[in-house]
Amino acid sequence: MNIAVCVKHAIDEGELRSDSSGRPQLQGALAKMSTFDRNAVEEAVRARESKGGTVTVLSLGGQDWKKSLKEALAMGCDRAIAISSAGDLDTLATSYYLSRALQKGGPFDLILVSEGASDTYDGLVGPMLAEWLNLPFIGYARKVEIGEGTVRAEVALDEKAEVVDAALPAVVSVVSEVNSPRYPTLLQIMQASKKPMEELALDSLRDERAPLAAVKVLEVTAQPVNRKRVIYEGAPEESAQKLLDALRKEGVI
Amino acid sequence: MTDVLTFSENPQLAGELATAADSIAAGAGGRVFAVEVDAVREAPAHGSVLLVKAARPISGDSELIASAISEAARRRASPIVLIGSTKLGRMVAGRLAVASRMCVLADVRDLKVDGVRLTGVRGVYAGKFNAKVEGPLPCVALVPQGAYEATAGSPGPVEEITVEGFSPRVKRTEARAPQRSALDLRTAKIIVAAGRGFKTKEDLALVEKLAKALGGAMGASRPLSSDLGWLGEEYHIGLTGVYVRPNLYLAIGISGQLQHVAGIKDSKVIAAINKDKQAPIFQVADYGIVGDLYQVVPALLKILGSE
Amino acid sequence: MKLFHPEHRKAVEIFYEKEYESYCALLESLSETLEKDVVPLSAGFDSDAGGIAAARKVLFEQGLCRMPFEFHGGLSLPFGMYCLGMELAGAADAPTAMSLAIHNTVADGIFRFGSESQRKGTFEDLVSGRKLASFSLTEPSSGSDARSMRTTATRKGSDYVIDGTKTFITNAGEADVYFVLARTEKGHTAFLVESSTPGLSVGPDIPKLGMRGSRTAEVRLEGCRVAEEGIVGEDGRGFEYVKAMLNGSRIIMGSICVGIALTAYQKSLAYAKERRLFDQKLSDMQMTREKVANMRSDITSSRVMCLYASRLKESGAEYASEAAQAKVLATEMAARVCDQAIQLFGGYGYTNSDVHRHWRDARLLTIGEGASEVLRMLIAGKELAASG
Repeated sequence: MNIAVCVKHAIDEGELRSDSSGRPQLQGALAKMSTFDRNAVEEAVRARESKGGTVTVLSLGGQDWKKSLKEALAMGCDRAIAISSAGDLDTLATSYYLSRALQKGGPFDLILVSEGASDTYDGLVGPMLAEWLNLPFIGYARKVEIGEGTVRAEVALDEKAEVVDAALPAVVSVVSEVNSPRYPTLLQIMQASKKPMEELALDSLRDERAPLAAVKVLEVTAQPVNRKRVIYEGAPEESAQKLLDALRKEGVI
Repeated sequence: MTDVLTFSENPQLAGELATAADSIAAGAGGRVFAVEVDAVREAPAHGSVLLVKAARPISGDSELIASAISEAARRRASPIVLIGSTKLGRMVAGRLAVASRMCVLADVRDLKVDGVRLTGVRGVYAGKFNAKVEGPLPCVALVPQGAYEATAGSPGPVEEITVEGFSPRVKRTEARAPQRSALDLRTAKIIVAAGRGFKTKEDLALVEKLAKALGGAMGASRPLSSDLGWLGEEYHIGLTGVYVRPNLYLAIGISGQLQHVAGIKDSKVIAAINKDKQAPIFQVADYGIVGDLYQVVPALLKILGSE
Repeated sequence: MKLFHPEHRKAVEIFYEKEYESYCALLESLSETLEKDVVPLSAGFDSDAGGIAAARKVLFEQGLCRMPFEFHGGLSLPFGMYCLGMELAGAADAPTAMSLAIHNTVADGIFRFGSESQRKGTFEDLVSGRKLASFSLTEPSSGSDARSMRTTATRKGSDYVIDGTKTFITNAGEADVYFVLARTEKGHTAFLVESSTPGLSVGPDIPKLGMRGSRTAEVRLEGCRVAEEGIVGEDGRGFEYVKAMLNGSRIIMGSICVGIALTAYQKSLAYAKERRLFDQKLSDMQMTREKVANMRSDITSSRVMCLYASRLKESGAEYASEAAQAKVLATEMAARVCDQAIQLFGGYGYTNSDVHRHWRDARLLTIGEGASEVLRMLIAGKELAASG
């Protein structure tokens, strides 16, 4: 089976600070493989472990993004495709170039992505890839079973769960509950540097379908937090009474 | 001249999108249409409707819905398409954007049309920051719940569009019916939510009791519905779950990860009970009790009971 | 609690500039594993001897013990990287790190001085974690004065029969194989004794001030029969081997102490920033700032000393003195820093085991693996011999 998984080298939002003007300190900010992408990589590696074949991990990025690809290789992917991009591409362009790389590096039977990036949780690249490649899309899978040329998934949608089936090839996005991603051993990390990594430039992937228009980010500012942050630390009965009094005063109960 | 199309499978969101659409229709210089599939729903039918029908049901299938909206959009003047930001909405928006070569502004509020561009504001870095974004028209915008107030309206003229060759590539069967509608949470004025601090499923009875005593609804953070399976998906509040905006949100045993906070940050008052003083929830709460929930919650119930 | 910090990156950059990216990736991954699987359990280990088995297993799987070896499953990483790995392990949980370090000292002994069949067998079992080792040198009447040990190994045909008592043995009762020093006709000899050997018995766990998660007990050998193949290296040269083994392990004990001190330091720094008294933050007070500066310099300099000694070892140069210096400095530093941490926390430090266990853990290491006094004699001895 030819399996592909797409990952994003994302800013670690937990560590991101703002500068004095309220802008995010992106320069030198810690970045790592987007949290939920680890689940997608784990699912891809498990699929190969049960069905055989190869796992190709792809990522589009500008700076240090190969680090996440190396991590994915250490987790068990067989080869990596690194698409280098100087600027920030929007989701439409990102999905386009990923789809072109998938076409060049494929054909793939199964393409996995996560439910969304940890820094900008959109969940759009998955269905966009499916549309670029004219494939069925299964979203938010919490369990994936691969059959003979088919895939069955249990999906967690808003307010309900479904069981869905589609013919392969297909694009599937997985939620973090799908598995527990492995932490590679030191040996696996060292061996990852020996696995093949191909670097592609945007120019080599562009064709006449390339999107021309793009979303621009005009400004990013810190979200002000205007909460009172009153803390009660005494005996449970006291704190409980104080809380109820405060909530009554607020008029919410 | 740009028309504005709206779509959401979620009736509450559809109503909010109608307001959003009205707010930008003037700047766009066009008309507003709600896209419906299969049949026109009672609420929020609001203004003109483009009803797309096919030989087989379209609803619930993101590929077919995207095609339906694409079909509807083809017949209008280079439109702005507003889609309710739900999981299904995202799947639809993704396919639609590629099919019609439109950019997507994701999870945006405060929409404005300025000439040939649509601008909006969205949360980034798990809601820690706000980004002002802009997309050239025509484009798609995913609008989150609570960004606009739904306005009541009356159904207007319905234009039917019949499409051929709509064949679903994903076969769907419902796994389990939800225990209750998430509508309860979205409209609840008081929500008491449980998190990982609870040790067993049975202990959630404490939360149920407290919610009842306060006259509110019960909710939960993601692990309780996904990892632990104690509650259905419809209880899950957060960035990837239900977005709520109550007067009071009481988080019990919830650490306050950004993904959860993103779903509650517009609550009027946030209160929290957690035994860890360093828990991030206390950074976003108005009132917090540092203590063992197994002692604090019974204490609250006792006081409320004796009143 | 995050374990991998910019100061670690700086250390890798200064000491291993060429491999900066890949070495940082390794340490980062090790930290993530420690944060996820060891740190949450650490407080519990303070009252549960033997509990660390779970943490050890995680680190064996990661490959921590494979780091400094070149063959038979080793990762061929420089000794300094192994130091940093052990520092991180020590920062996560001291008894686990110490237990593994001692286990790995035995592995090192077999690797360097054992037979090919011992390397392919026992050594590979040890670095993979399939088997656990125990280093049995100390006796009730001989600690620093190890040469005067009383355990004997008498030749009986082609076997040796070992009789004696060892004490304060780490991993006792859990180990699959004991590295035992005993006197033969030829001198001191190192033996590998399987735990199942008839006559080998282990006493109850000895209650300790700190390092409580790690099992420590007396090991009794009564008529333990060991075949000739059980000797590591040559009959009579055991002491030589032990001295060589201890050089490396002294640097590691130093690194573990750097880790313990760093954890204690970070906890007290965080506390000092929150605690208010006399209308200001504890961290704003002048005396606190002096403590912070001292603790900070102490930790950095000890780490640098350990890495310096490591680089000497890697280069093949003589390093016994530097290793001893590193251990003396770092172990005494850790007790000092952890003591100051308790002081900064005040009453909370004295009453909260999550603070005082760091001092209790560190306090062992100026004693074990070469007491500071013995090491000072070694250092001074070399200095005075050198200056003629």
